[in-house]
Amino acid sequence: MASTSPKITDSLQFPDNLDVTKTFYGFGAVGLIASGVGYFLNAEQFFFSYLTSFAFFTSIGLASLILLMIHHITRSSWGVVIRRIPEAFASNLWIWSIFIIPILLGMHSLYHWTHADYVAQDPILAGKTAYLNTPFFVIRQFIYFGIWGFLGYKLHKISVDMDKTNDWGLMELLKKLSAPGILIFAITIAFASFDWLMSLDPHWFSTMFGIYYFAMSFQALFPILILIIFWMHKKGILENTIQKSHIYDLGAWFFGFTIFYAYIAFSQFLLIYYANIPEETLWFYHRLEGSWAYVSYSLIICRFAIPFIVLLNRDTKHNHKVLISVSILVIAMHIIELYWIVMPTLHHHGVSISWLDFTTLIGLGGIFMGLFFQRLKKHKLVPVNDPNLPDSLHKTYHQ
Amino acid sequence: MSKTYEYVPEPALVKGNHDFKDITAMITDINIRPTPKGWYVAFGIANMLLLLLLGSIGYLVWEGTGIWGLNSPVGWGWAIINFVWWVGIGHAGTLISAILFLFRQGWRTAINRFAEAMTIFAVMCAGIFPAIHVGRIWVVYWMFPLPNQMLMWPNFNSPLLWDVFAVSTYFTVSLLFWYVGLVPDLATVRDRIKSKIGKMAYGVFALGWRGSNRHWWNYEKSYMILAGLATPLVLSVHTIVSFDFAVSIIPGWHTTIFPPYFVAGAVFSGFAMVLSLMIICRKIYGLEDIMTIDHMEKMNIVVLVTGTMVGFAYIMEQFIAWYSGVEYEKFIFMMRAAGPYAWAYWIMFACNVFSPQFFWSKKLRRNVTFTFIISIIVNIGMWFERFVITVTSLSTDFLPSSWGYYSPTIWDVATYVGTFGLFFTFFLLFLRFLPMVAVAELKGVMPQADPHNYDEDGEFVPPKVEVPEPYKNQTNQ
Repeated sequence: MASTSPKITDSLQFPDNLDVTKTFYGFGAVGLIASGVGYFLNAEQFFFSYLTSFAFFTSIGLASLILLMIHHITRSSWGVVIRRIPEAFASNLWIWSIFIIPILLGMHSLYHWTHADYVAQDPILAGKTAYLNTPFFVIRQFIYFGIWGFLGYKLHKISVDMDKTNDWGLMELLKKLSAPGILIFAITIAFASFDWLMSLDPHWFSTMFGIYYFAMSFQALFPILILIIFWMHKKGILENTIQKSHIYDLGAWFFGFTIFYAYIAFSQFLLIYYANIPEETLWFYHRLEGSWAYVSYSLIICRFAIPFIVLLNRDTKHNHKVLISVSILVIAMHIIELYWIVMPTLHHHGVSISWLDFTTLIGLGGIFMGLFFQRLKKHKLVPVNDPNLPDSLHKTYHQ
Repeated sequence: MSKTYEYVPEPALVKGNHDFKDITAMITDINIRPTPKGWYVAFGIANMLLLLLLGSIGYLVWEGTGIWGLNSPVGWGWAIINFVWWVGIGHAGTLISAILFLFRQGWRTAINRFAEAMTIFAVMCAGIFPAIHVGRIWVVYWMFPLPNQMLMWPNFNSPLLWDVFAVSTYFTVSLLFWYVGLVPDLATVRDRIKSKIGKMAYGVFALGWRGSNRHWWNYEKSYMILAGLATPLVLSVHTIVSFDFAVSIIPGWHTTIFPPYFVAGAVFSGFAMVLSLMIICRKIYGLEDIMTIDHMEKMNIVVLVTGTMVGFAYIMEQFIAWYSGVEYEKFIFMMRAAGPYAWAYWIMFACNVFSPQFFWSKKLRRNVTFTFIISIIVNIGMWFERFVITVTSLSTDFLPSSWGYYSPTIWDVATYVGTFGLFFTFFLLFLRFLPMVAVAELKGVMPQADPHNYDEDGEFVPPKVEVPEPYKNQTNQ
């Protein structure tokens, strides 16, 4: 028995001497203050930069949430040892909701459909006022974050409760929460993406857009998990618990959802390009104008072609250097793609990088990661009482 | 949350504590035993339907597509509907065998062979329609880009041509995948069968399989590669089928969600079809210990998930049609829900979106009769989905003076019903002559194949996890 029983040899406590939380909060504060200054200098640029950064970090929280729910509903065992990381991301969504406030304050700058005089002259936009109006927009944000916040908080809470109570019945509760959770999540993320991103160009529409936002967020989650795990290993955290095989699996997910992202993004583009109806093509037309065209092409190469070719090989999913490089590339491309979705509304004719793009990213990123580490530190780094933990620890990687 | 829940461990994949020999006998004896009488009856009925198909096609070739109910605005009728419907059904097989294989889902082994066979026959049924609908069937080879003295080529920009490639590739790879999986089992039948002819026939197709280490090594490798190749095909085929509609500028057809929505719908109908067939076969052939209620429950969950995805797409389409502000889109979607074909739309909605919702209940998921009924309803619903998409968008086109109502003729119906004859003829032959469960693979997922952590009754006993000192007192079940 003793030889077969899996063993955790690492400490399950986040090292006390490693206080990254304060560093991140420090960065966050500096970034946010700088961005605040930027608001007084160039309010419009501030709001667009802020929205880009907000859409990026929120997408990580949301992707974590859906990964958790899929994990519970499929009774996966492979990912038990890494589960605390997405749990920590998702559990902060309710706190994160306060960062929607600047967007609500900047609606007038961001969204053309909030201009009553402009809408009055445009019969198409006038037809959309039942959905695109300020009070309903604000209410919807409350609904979205209420639902996500609740799900993320609950899934984390139950999971850490199980560390203490030893009650496996809680696994069933997690499943019961995840099943309808996935359904509600799908609907809310779709409408949220319509609200935040698609309605920047209120004339444009695409039924695929919700799935598109989900697909890119989900693709970007895996490189983030990979980087966090490598960082943790470097600091000696969970070195023997999160094994090669787990990283390999993350690499496989990363690869799979790179293809899924490309499939969704390309299908959306191809159908609009092929049908060539002016009200739809305009959106892509703007993004192929001036220097935006280079961004468009770089998305194909750096967000699909390179990761696809690199990750196709089995060995690269074990090679830390390669994995880290591809991960950084894809995370950067996720930010760039969101930038490419948001910014052409403001800068029609070409890329125009502002320092606010960076300060908002640093500011929100500092807070986001600070919250993450604060949460991660508080609890055991592995759900020690999960019934699938032995399986997860025993995972040998198949050839 | 004061309510307490009971933890349910993962059930064993094969019930009834059989040993390996039992399993081999249970499955391959079906091929070895003399043909049961009931089989002849079923085969006879299937053959009659097949004759109906051949007759309908014969008359079609003689008379032309005028015998169908097509009219001026509705130039695409039952032929495309049936094509998409059958291709959709043909999706579950490869999904079960390839994608679930890559995800290492052990439960697939009980049903993969079965589902793959269904896939191949469904794709054959589907392939008939594009071929016969061209009118002049004697020049059907023009669909392929064959060099010719007229320098005529098919339109490479058209998804209809991509379809020719996609479906034929899918069929080829599915067939190969199925056959490679069959080889070890064919050898098993060869070794067990008494009749000389049988020995020879199975022997030829078993390709000299002796079960040596090297054979298995090659087998595992090729199976893995084929699974990898088949996976993108699952997505590509129905994506391109959706392109047939979505690249056009017909309201109701041109919408970007079509590719994933069609794939979800295909998986949905495919799983439903596997369920319908499986529920009958496990009963007749006494395979309840292999195709268990737990398998059925898992498949029902897939049906619930994909059905809800399809529902999500319906709602997105309706919402965006309104949100787009495009007059024609709005009109078509209003016509769908409240126009002359509203009955079809609501049948579709009820069958595809509402009926799977019953599977939220664990009790109903595990109820065989109920599952059977829902699986049939789902396939009716998915047929209507294609009907709604094809017909509503065409019947009220941009020119109100040409609007018309479409109804099928007796020949439309006869051809469609006839394809069931083709399907079941092949399927019955499969049941009779080939092992319907992957015997060798099934043994690998049995509790008996994994000697760890089970007590005498085959109940799973999870090992204890040893954790570092400070947590010792509060952990371990």
